[in-house]
Amino acid sequence: MSWSLSRKVSVALIAILASTMLLTALFGYYKFEDEVSSLVRSRYSFVAFTIKKRVEDSLNLGFALRQLRQVQDAIELEKTRDEQIVGIEIYDSRGEILFNSDRGRIGASVPDEWLLPLAEPSGQPFALMDEDSHAVGLPLVNNLGKVEGAVVLVYPAGYVERELGGALWGLATRMAGIVAVFAVLTFVVAGVALGPVRRRLAAMETALATAVTNHAAGAAPDGAAPPSSDVAAEFDGHFGEFVAKAHEALEHIKLSTDEVERLDRLA
Amino acid sequence: MRLDSSRSLLVRLLMLAVLVLVPPMGFASFMALDRFEQGMNPELDRKAAAVGRDLVVQVERAVAYGIPLDKLVGVDEFFAQVLSGNPEIRYLGITGTDGGILFLRGALSGQLADHYRQQMAVPANVEGKTTRIGDFVDLALPLKGRSGLVGSVHVGFDQGYISSRLFSIFYDIAVVLGASLIVAFEILLFVVVFNVSGPMKLVAEVIDQGRKGDFTRLPGIRADDEVGHFARVFNATMRQVDNAYRGLMAYIDEVRTGHFDRSVAEKAGEIADRVKFLFRFDPSGTPRFLREKLSSDVRLPLFLFVFAEEISRSFMPLYAQSLPQRLAWLTPEVMIALPIAVFMTGIALGSLWGGAVTERLGSRRVFQIGLLPAVLGCLMSGLSQSVIELSLWRGITGLGYALVTVACQGYISKTSSDSRHVTGLGSYVGAVLSAALCGTVLGGVMADRIGFAPTFFVSAGLVVVSGILLGYLLEKAASAPDAAAAESVAPRGLSRIFLNWRFTVLVVFAAIPAKIALTGFFFFLVPLVLWDSGHQLPEIARIMVLYPLVMLVVSYFATRFADQWGWRVGQIAVGGVLGGVGILLAALFDGTLPLAAGVMLLGAAHGMSAAPQLALVPDICWVECHHFGRTQVLALLRTLERVGSVIGPVLAAVFWPMWGTEGAIVAIGSAVLGMAAVFALLAGRYGDGPHLESEEDAA
Repeated sequence: MSWSLSRKVSVALIAILASTMLLTALFGYYKFEDEVSSLVRSRYSFVAFTIKKRVEDSLNLGFALRQLRQVQDAIELEKTRDEQIVGIEIYDSRGEILFNSDRGRIGASVPDEWLLPLAEPSGQPFALMDEDSHAVGLPLVNNLGKVEGAVVLVYPAGYVERELGGALWGLATRMAGIVAVFAVLTFVVAGVALGPVRRRLAAMETALATAVTNHAAGAAPDGAAPPSSDVAAEFDGHFGEFVAKAHEALEHIKLSTDEVERLDRLA
Repeated sequence: MRLDSSRSLLVRLLMLAVLVLVPPMGFASFMALDRFEQGMNPELDRKAAAVGRDLVVQVERAVAYGIPLDKLVGVDEFFAQVLSGNPEIRYLGITGTDGGILFLRGALSGQLADHYRQQMAVPANVEGKTTRIGDFVDLALPLKGRSGLVGSVHVGFDQGYISSRLFSIFYDIAVVLGASLIVAFEILLFVVVFNVSGPMKLVAEVIDQGRKGDFTRLPGIRADDEVGHFARVFNATMRQVDNAYRGLMAYIDEVRTGHFDRSVAEKAGEIADRVKFLFRFDPSGTPRFLREKLSSDVRLPLFLFVFAEEISRSFMPLYAQSLPQRLAWLTPEVMIALPIAVFMTGIALGSLWGGAVTERLGSRRVFQIGLLPAVLGCLMSGLSQSVIELSLWRGITGLGYALVTVACQGYISKTSSDSRHVTGLGSYVGAVLSAALCGTVLGGVMADRIGFAPTFFVSAGLVVVSGILLGYLLEKAASAPDAAAAESVAPRGLSRIFLNWRFTVLVVFAAIPAKIALTGFFFFLVPLVLWDSGHQLPEIARIMVLYPLVMLVVSYFATRFADQWGWRVGQIAVGGVLGGVGILLAALFDGTLPLAAGVMLLGAAHGMSAAPQLALVPDICWVECHHFGRTQVLALLRTLERVGSVIGPVLAAVFWPMWGTEGAIVAIGSAVLGMAAVFALLAGRYGDGPHLESEEDAA
């Protein structure tokens, strides 16, 4: 396939545009996902915090964690308020689930890694994640500073993709459309921008061809049509001199040939 | 517009690049930001609702105990606690049934009072009601007591909150766009030089010979575009002239050898002599193709290579800090500095070795050899599990970096005629600086988004691409020894140059301090200080990119100034002092702005003094340049200044535990300033006394 100059330039520019757009979109998406994830995490942390407060208030009144039956209603209420919440559970320091929005899980054990944050002296919030879900957790501490257990709220991973995937896909399509429109524009404008180059090269080709044709037609050296002033000025004016010289060479060689031929015949 | 010059065509195409890149990026960014805002708004509403519901439960419990709403105690402190834990919430408030504000925290009553009074005409339902009040979005939730509605809880956030959170995307877009424009420039320059101006330079050379009657050469152009088509027509014309000549000569030979009349043969011989006198044709029987290597051939691969290497510039100490450190006998600070110091050592050793290797194997082979450690180094830097491993791989990367850059310099020297040597080296410096701009700034954004290790893999990928491109471009380059590189082998007796006190002063008090400032302050301390003050990686990169940016601009003018006025010593002295002052400024005032100003001043200082340092050498070492060659002396200066590159980060790491990062900056700045002051004092006497002891020998 023949690649013209404008096609080469256009393809280079379109490749740069597409890469820039892709890079920007990726960076933008990562940033957006970060922000939304942090907002989602912050909201669920707050919900978990409200439950923690309620439970700790009761613990501070001297109740044992497994006696707080009203907590089950509270976590079920929070679960019904937000359909994105996969589950809320409260487990004790040994890992036994005491309350769960899914009542069938009560009495089961949490994974071992869920107990690790409870061993931390700081009692800070913690985040857990696996392939399908993320979890935010808060240790439950009584007024003596003893960690009694933890409340954990589980929400699905890929929240952003699921909630906003359609809209983002639409955005990506529109961006691809922009690239396509500007790709066409690039071809057109590159053609225009490189037009003078094409025209000059064509004019020089014509000048060269004319010099050769005139010679072939047997025009006299001074009868050769000189190239136009624009073309002759190419290469610091050397192109015109070159064409004239080439024509002169051809004519001179032709005259010399005629002369040798005449000498050859005369003898 | 000249076809054999890239400038005018390049300007035209750059305008095209701006037209093609900027508007679509603008449209796309606007659309994306709008979409992102729409996507985040519901989430913010949910957060406000969650906070609001909790407040309602708490307040309603108090009201249920019989406490009147306006008599609640500690509400302000409670609101303050909630607001501090939820920075996206702007204010919290409670209003009575008449809409009067009872409690409010985070906003001024005057901003909301009127609206609340009007709003109470429509009581909020259980789900709450969201309204826009000036710059706020207000969620009102009803408060119910035994007797019904007793008031409302209000949760408000700024309308511009999401925009402010997403605003850094704008910076990232601007950064990517700026870098893309630089990449576009480099690629278009390559397209123009490779496809138009380069081939047309060959044509111009052939035309220049042809206009004088010399038809011995043809431009060796193989392309299928318009230039290729023109070259074919041009060559056809040349061949036609050549064929006519060959035909004539064959006929004359036939007449001279076969004709019985000697006078005819003699006359035919005279005609042949006349034609040969007027025109020149190649004696081999056909015109030879002219093929010329251009110094710009290596520009794009070099750009990509340096781009790849600079990607880790803004985060290298942070990456080292994040890795386990295993050597007990080194302080953690020195361990963090180790990868930079070892990288610089690799460059120093590679530069020394590169000259000799290039002499034996040629630029192309050395570039290919250098790519191997460079790719391996980048790849393994990303996979490193400890600082020691990272340092080792950085050292290997530095070795590759040095080999590649020495090979490129050798190629440029070889392909540039003396008159175009400066232009060739200008092309080298231009590629390196623009690559530093792009690499530094994009590296920060990339590392922030995809992590340190994947960023190194991207870097390795770019090195591979630069290698493939160079392999293609230099396919026909001869692997003959490089004359310019051959000169770079250290000859015997060059060490006597240290007896020239002017040279020694230049090295010790100007060149080495400049590198100490660069690696100790800029490469090592700046990223750490910015990170510790809470800046994200893209922000660090944006501040660090100020250095090459300012340097690029200042060096452009400084070079011209030095050429015009010849005040080289003064520029070096002022540059040194400016660099020291810039570093001190960064530490003596708090905040990011002084640090950014310090980075800019350092860029200005180095832009001002780097070129005059090189230009000064032939002036103060003319005897040595005469004996050993200018290249040798300049290579020695370049190698010696690497001592500063190696000790810079180590010095900063030693100062750091003693006086903290700010103290380390002050110490580095003071050292640089002090040495610059000594240079300024001594350089004032450069014109005094005998030139050097060897001058008498030479005489």
